[in-house]
Amino acid sequence: MTESREKQGYFTGAKRYVLDDELARIVNISMSLEMPLLLKGEPGTGKTMLAHAIAENLGMPLIVLNVKSNMKLIDALYQYDTLTRLNDSRFGDSTRDVSRIEDYIKMGKIGQAFTADQRTVLLIDEIDKADTDFQDDMLDVLDQMEFDIIEIDKTVRAKYRPVIVITSNAKKDLSDPFLGRCNFHHIAFPDPQMMRKIISVHFPDIDTEIMNNAIDTFYQLRELDMVEKKPATRELINWIRALSMDPDFKPKQLAKGEIPYLGVLFKKSQDYTIAANQVQRKRRF
Amino acid sequence: MFVDFFYKLREVGIPATPTAFLTLHRALQKGLIMSLSDFYTAARSILVKSERHFDLFDQVFAHFFEGAELPDAEGFELDEIAKALLDQWLADPQTVADALGEDMAELQKLSPEELIEYFKQRLREQTERHDGGNRWIGTGGTSPVGHSGYHPGGLRVGGESRNKSAVKVANERRYKDYSKTGLLSQSSIGEALKRLRNMVPTGPKDQLNIRESIYRTMKNAGEIEIVFDRRLKDRLKVILAIDNGGYSMDPYIPVVQTLFNYARSQFKELKTYFFHNTIYDTLWEDPARFRKPKPVMEFGRMDPETRLIIVGDASMAPYELMAMDGSIYVHERSGRASIEQLRFLAETFPHNAWLNPVPARMWPYTRTINIIRQIFPMFELTIDGLEQAVDQLMAA
Repeated sequence: MTESREKQGYFTGAKRYVLDDELARIVNISMSLEMPLLLKGEPGTGKTMLAHAIAENLGMPLIVLNVKSNMKLIDALYQYDTLTRLNDSRFGDSTRDVSRIEDYIKMGKIGQAFTADQRTVLLIDEIDKADTDFQDDMLDVLDQMEFDIIEIDKTVRAKYRPVIVITSNAKKDLSDPFLGRCNFHHIAFPDPQMMRKIISVHFPDIDTEIMNNAIDTFYQLRELDMVEKKPATRELINWIRALSMDPDFKPKQLAKGEIPYLGVLFKKSQDYTIAANQVQRKRRF
Repeated sequence: MFVDFFYKLREVGIPATPTAFLTLHRALQKGLIMSLSDFYTAARSILVKSERHFDLFDQVFAHFFEGAELPDAEGFELDEIAKALLDQWLADPQTVADALGEDMAELQKLSPEELIEYFKQRLREQTERHDGGNRWIGTGGTSPVGHSGYHPGGLRVGGESRNKSAVKVANERRYKDYSKTGLLSQSSIGEALKRLRNMVPTGPKDQLNIRESIYRTMKNAGEIEIVFDRRLKDRLKVILAIDNGGYSMDPYIPVVQTLFNYARSQFKELKTYFFHNTIYDTLWEDPARFRKPKPVMEFGRMDPETRLIIVGDASMAPYELMAMDGSIYVHERSGRASIEQLRFLAETFPHNAWLNPVPARMWPYTRTINIIRQIFPMFELTIDGLEQAVDQLMAA
C-alpha cells in the first residue's frame, strides 16, 4: 500500500520529519484538491519543516517565499529591472536586447514556481507578517494560477500547479476570502511520546537515558508560569545537541534538577531569568 | 450527502461556507476519502478554518457519526453550575444545604453523581429567570451560590465577578487561549499596531527614483543621471501613559506588559510615562513614580502630532477625578482637578485613545469610566479594541 502510494505521488513522510497520520492525510487531500494548505501552530512545531519534508519525499524542488512586512505582491511575482535596462540603453555593451523588455523581467518566487519545468513545492512562510491586502491579492494569483506582467502585457500561467504550503504564526485569524481558498490545519504541540519519536529521528543513536531525562525536563520547563516564549521542538533539538556534545554532561544531572545550557531553551532575557530562578529553587528543595 | 452535518456545524456556530462544502464533495468524488477517519480530517481541514472551532467540530462529528449526545448550550451551563455546586458542597455542605433549603444529612447520603443529578434537577425546576433575592440559585442575588452575585464568602459559578470578591472562579475555559477577545500576545499586538505608522524619508539616499531619473536623463540629452531618494521610515511619535499603581490594575499587568514590550521595540520615538489611577500635576518617567517627574503642563510644548495612548482601568473614587485636591498624594495638589488635566492632554494631542483592560461590558458599572470616556475615546484592551484604537489614532 505504502509503496504504491509513493509511486503515485502521495506524501508519506521524510527522513527527518515525523509525520502523524492525520497530517499526512491532510497534505494528500490538499494536493489532490489543488488547494493551498494553511498551517498554523506554535513557533517551532515544524510548520516550515513540513514543506521541506514534502519536497524531499516527492522529489520536487522547494521554492521558499519568506514574507516580509513591507512586501508587495509584485515582489513575489516578478521584478522589472529598470536600472539595468537604462544602463544598457546608454552603453549598449550587453548581450541583452534593449528593445525587448522581456529580457529585463526577473521572476520572483511565485513566478519561479509557475515557470518551473516540473511540479514544485512552494512554501509561503509567515504570511501573517504582510498586510491583509497582500494576502488577498496573492490568493487570487494562486487561485487563478496566473498573473500578468504589465510591462510587456503578457500573462504567465503556471505550467505545473505547485504544491502550496502557507504558514502563519498569528493567533489572529486571516481574512475570510483567504481562509475560504485554503485548507486549514493547526499543528498541536507534540505530546511526550511523539516527541520521543521526533528526537530519535534526529538523533538515531542517542542514549535512552539522556533522551528520557531531557524530554521530562523539557516538558517540566514548558509548564513554567509567566514565560512568554515557551521552548519548542526546535529548542529541544538544539538543547539535546548541546548536551550530547558536552563531554562532562551526565544524564543524572537532569534528574537532580540541574539544567545546563538554559540559554538554548529560553531566548528572552526575562524568560531566562524566570527559568533560572525556578530551577535554582527546585534544586534547593 | 452530509447536508445535515453541514447545517449542524453552522448551527453550533462554525462559519463553514457552502463553497467549502462543495470542495469537500469534490474530495469525496475523487475517491480521496476511504474511511471515516479520512472523512474526519478532510472535513475538518476543509470546513473549519480556525483552531478555535476544532473542539466544537469534534463534538458535532461525534454526535453525527457516533451518536454521542450533543450538549446543548443550556445543558452545558447547567452542567457547569451543578459541578460548581458540587465543589462548594464538598467544601462547605452546610451552606449549600441551607441555600437549597434541604436537610444536610439528607443530601449527604447521595453519591457525587447523584448529587450532580439532584442539583441539575433543582436548577431545571426554575422555570423563570431568577435575578436578585437571597434564597434561590440565580443571577445577581446575594445567595451564596449563583451567578455574579455578591456575597463576601460566596462562590462564583461561571460568569464574571463584578465585585471582584468571589472566593473562587469555578468554571474553566479550555480554549480561552484561542478566543479572539482573550489575552493579547506579542504577535497579535504587532498585527494590530502595524497600521500605526507615519512614513517619512530618513537614512541614506539608496532608493532609486525612476521617474526622476528618466526625467533628468532626458534633460541631460540622454546622458544618464540617476536620482536616489531616502527610504521611507516610520517616524511616528508616541506617548504611552500607563496606570501602574494600585491593586485595581494588578490583574491586567501581563497584558499591559506585553503591550509595553511590543511598543518599545516597534516605535523609535516612544516615550513612556506612568501614573496612578489618574493624572494630576505630573507624570513619571520611572515606573516607581518617584525619581523623574514631568509636569503635565510641559506636554503643551510637545509636537501636537504625537499620538497619545493612555492605558488604565479608569476606575477610582469619583472625587479623585473631580475634586480640586483629589489626588491621594498630598504633594500633588496644585488646585487643578484631574479631569482638567485630562482635558488639557486631550486638547494638546488631538490624536488620542484610552485603552482599558476592563471588558467593555463592565464599563457602565464604574462611574469614572463613563466620565473619562467623554474626554478620551475609550477602547477595550483586546485585539479588536486595539484595532479600533489604531483607526482612531490614524484618522486625520
